[in-house]
Amino acid sequence: MSAAQHRAADTVLEASGVTMIFGGLTALNDVSIRLEEGRIVGLIGPNGAGKTTLFNCLTGLYTPTRGSVRLRGKSLPSDPAKVTSAGIARTFQNIRLFPNMTVLENVLVGRHIRMKQGPIASVFHGPVFRKGEAAARAKSRELLEFVGLRGVETEVARNLPYGDQRRLEIARALATEPEVLLLDEPTAGMNPQETEAARQLIFRIRDTGVSVVVIEHDTKFIFSLCDTVSVLVQGEVLVEGSPETVRDDPRVIEAYLGKPREEVEADVAEAAAQQQREDS
Amino acid sequence: MSRFTGLIPLALVRPFNALGGLLLLVAAMLPWATFLLNDGPFPEKSTLQYFDAPFELTGFRWHLLVFGVVALVTTFVPLRGKDRVLRALGWGGLVIGLVCGYFIAENGGGFGAITAADGASAFGSVVAVLGGLLLILGSMAKPLDEIPEWPTSLFGLTGMAARLEAYAYLIVAFAGVLWLVTQTLTAGGIGGAAFPYAGPIFLAFLGFAGGLLGALHGIGLTRWVSHLSEKHRAFSIIVLLACAFLLPFPFTGAGSQYWMQVAAVIGVYAATAIGLNIVVGLAGLLDLGYVAFMGIGAFVAANLSGAVASQVGLDLPFPVAALIAAVIAGIFGAIVGSPTLRVRGDYLAIVTLAFGEIFTRAAQNNIGELTGGASAIPGVPQVTMFGTAFNEKITLFGAELPSGVLYYFMIVLVVGAIMAVFANLKNSRMGRAWIAIREDEDAARAMGIRTGKAKILAFLVGAMLAGLAGAIFVHKLGTASYDSFKFLESVTLLAAVILGGMGTIPGAVLGASLLFVLPEKLREFDDFRLFFFGLALVFIMRFRPQGLVPDRHRRAELAGETAEGKPIETEEEQAVLEHEERGHAGPSAPKEDRA
Repeated sequence: MSAAQHRAADTVLEASGVTMIFGGLTALNDVSIRLEEGRIVGLIGPNGAGKTTLFNCLTGLYTPTRGSVRLRGKSLPSDPAKVTSAGIARTFQNIRLFPNMTVLENVLVGRHIRMKQGPIASVFHGPVFRKGEAAARAKSRELLEFVGLRGVETEVARNLPYGDQRRLEIARALATEPEVLLLDEPTAGMNPQETEAARQLIFRIRDTGVSVVVIEHDTKFIFSLCDTVSVLVQGEVLVEGSPETVRDDPRVIEAYLGKPREEVEADVAEAAAQQQREDS
Repeated sequence: MSRFTGLIPLALVRPFNALGGLLLLVAAMLPWATFLLNDGPFPEKSTLQYFDAPFELTGFRWHLLVFGVVALVTTFVPLRGKDRVLRALGWGGLVIGLVCGYFIAENGGGFGAITAADGASAFGSVVAVLGGLLLILGSMAKPLDEIPEWPTSLFGLTGMAARLEAYAYLIVAFAGVLWLVTQTLTAGGIGGAAFPYAGPIFLAFLGFAGGLLGALHGIGLTRWVSHLSEKHRAFSIIVLLACAFLLPFPFTGAGSQYWMQVAAVIGVYAATAIGLNIVVGLAGLLDLGYVAFMGIGAFVAANLSGAVASQVGLDLPFPVAALIAAVIAGIFGAIVGSPTLRVRGDYLAIVTLAFGEIFTRAAQNNIGELTGGASAIPGVPQVTMFGTAFNEKITLFGAELPSGVLYYFMIVLVVGAIMAVFANLKNSRMGRAWIAIREDEDAARAMGIRTGKAKILAFLVGAMLAGLAGAIFVHKLGTASYDSFKFLESVTLLAAVILGGMGTIPGAVLGASLLFVLPEKLREFDDFRLFFFGLALVFIMRFRPQGLVPDRHRRAELAGETAEGKPIETEEEQAVLEHEERGHAGPSAPKEDRA
C-alpha cells in the first residue's frame, strides 16, 4: 500500500446531498461523495447514471438544484473559471482540446490562471513579461514530459494520435496546478498497453499530491486503480467503499455488472485479449 | 493531392510544358488586337496597326515573354518543386491572356478583335491562354512535389557571418517586395476617363505578380525568406519600415500625390482590419458593425480638433484628439461587447449588425449636434506638427516628396505600431485565451479563463484601434460624414480579414490592400466592381478557404495541411513519408531533383 494511505486523511473535496433536476428529470438524487487528500476515487455506473452530471456539478458547469460541494471546507463558486482557480481541474469524456492550437499552446492555456500578465504587459512584452512567459513555457514543457509527450510541442493538437490527445488533455489540466483532478473516462478507446500507461500516469499524478476522481467503465481498471469506488445507478449512490467491497457486493453485481463476478472477469479478460488481437 | 491528379499521362508532361512555355513566348511577340478599338489602341503596342517592332516588349507582353522563357528553361533543367513553378507560370499566363483578351473582345465588339477580322489577324491572347492551359495541365500528371527546404545559410556559415548573410538576403527580398508594391500600385496608371485600360492592365499585372510569387513559392524561396525574417524579426521590421519610407521617393514611380493618397487610405483600412482581426480572427467573435468604431473615432476627433462646424469648441492637438478618440471608441467597444457575455455566434452577429446600423442612423440624424447629419462635419483641419501641415509638399534628402506624404509616413508608423500590438497580444496569455475561446468556449472556461472579461477586452482593443484609425482618416479627409461608415464598409473590412487570412497580420494588410485598391483601379466598372468582389470572394472561399496568408491554426483546420507549421525535422519526415507513398503509386520525380 502506498504511503498516501497512511497519512492523516484530510478531506479535500466533499459533495453532500447533491441533487440535480433538469425539468422533470432527476439526474442526481442526494449524492454524497468524499475525496481524501492523496487518494484516487473511482466513479462507476451504467450509461446515464449521472456520472458526468456529477462532474459538471463538481466543476461549476452546473449549479446543483440542492446540496453543496465544498473544496477544503469552502463552498465552490458556480462559475467553472472560478472553480478552476480554486483548484479543481478536469478532462472531458469526449476530448476537448483546442484542436488548432499547438500542443505547447494548449498547455500554456492551462497556465492561464497561474500567470500574471495584464493587458498592458501583453502589449509591450517587457522584461517581467518575458520572464513570466519563459517560466510558463518551461513549466508546460515539464508537464508534457511528465505525461510522456515528447517532441510534439509544435504539432497542432488535432493531429495527435488519440491516446496522445488524452495525455495532452491531462497535461493541460495539470497546468492549472489543481488540488483535485477529475478525469472523465481517461482510457476510453485505449488498448491494454495504453490503459496500463494511463494507470501508471494517474498513480504518478497522485504521488505529486493531487487527489483524483476517475469516471470509467472499465471495472478492472477502476478496481486496480482506486482507493475507494462509488457506484452510481440512476442518479443515486448504490454502494461506496473499497474496491474489494464494491466488487463483492451482490447489489453491484446485479444492478451494474448484471452477472456473477467470475463471469465478468472472464468477459473482461476475453475482451482485453480480443482487443489485443485486433491491435496486433 | 487534387482530384485532377493523373489527368494526363506522365509522358506528356514535358511536351506539354515545353509547348506551353513556347506558346507564352510566341504570344508575347504576336499582336493582340486586330483593329483600333473605340477607346483607343490597347496598351503595349499590341494593336496590329501599331505593331511595328515585335521585339520591343513592354508591360504585359514583356511579362509573358519572361514567363515563357522561364517555363522553357524550367522544363529542361532539374529543379526541385518545378511542377509548382510551371503551374504558377501557367496560371499567370492564363490570367494575362484571359483578361486582355476579354477586354479587347468586349471593346472591339466580338471575337474578331482577338482572332481575325478583315483579313488581319491578331491571335496573341488566344495563344497565351492556350500556353497557360498547357502548363497547368502539365502539372496534373502526378501529385505536386514537396516545396523544397532551403538551409538558413546557403554557404554553411555560422554565427555573425550567417547573420550578415541573412541580413543581405532580407534586404534583397524586401527591395523586391518594395518593387512589387510600387509596380502593383502604379500598374495601369490612374483609372477613369483619361486612361480606359487601367482596369485590364492592373488585372493582368495581378496575374503576373501572382504567377511570379507562385513560382517563387514553388521553389521554396518565399518560405525560406519568411523563415529568415522570423528568425531576424527586429531587423526585418527595420528593413520593412525603411522600404515603406522609400516608397514616396521619386525613383519608385509611386511618388505622386495620387498614389500617396491611395497608399494612405489603404493604410488606414489595413490598421482597421488588423483591429478587426483581433475580434474576429483571434477571439472568433463575428462583428458585422465594426466600422462604427472607426466612425466614433472619426467624429470624436473631428469634434475635438476645432472644425468650424464642431459644437464642442475645443481645439486639441492631433495626438491628444486621436488618443481621446481611441479611448471613447474603446469604451463603446466594451459596451457593445457586453451582450457577448450571453449571446454566441449568429446572435452576436445580429447584435453587432444592429449596433452598426444604430450608429449610422444616429450619425445621419445629427445626434446631439455632434455628427452634422447629412451635411457632415466639414473643415476638419489638417494635422500640423512643428509648423508643417501634413498635406504640404516636403523636401527630404534633396528629393521633393509629393503632398500627403506626411500622412503616409504617419500611417506607416501607426500601422507598424498596430502590427506590433497585434503580434505581441497574440503571443501572450491574453491572445492564447482569445484563441482558446474561439476554439472551444466551454473548455476555455474549464481552464479558468474568464470568457466574459476576455471577450469584452477583445472588443475594447479592437474598437480602440479602429477609433485611432478613424481619427487619422478624418484628418486626412478633412470631412467627417456618416456616409463613410456604413454597413458596406464593415462587410468589406470583414471580407479583407477573411480574404487575407484570419488571425494573421500580413493577411489583414494584404486583404485590406486588395479590397481598397481594387475600387481605385477598377473605376471604369462602376458598380460592377462590387460584383467582381463578390465573385472573387466566392472563388477564394471555394479554393483557398484559409485565406491568402493563413496562420498555422487555420491552415491546419481548413487546408488539411500539416507540413508548414512544423519544425524542419518533422517536416522532412513527412516529406520522406509522402515520397515513399509516391514511390508506390507510380514513378516519382527524378532522384537528382531532390538532391
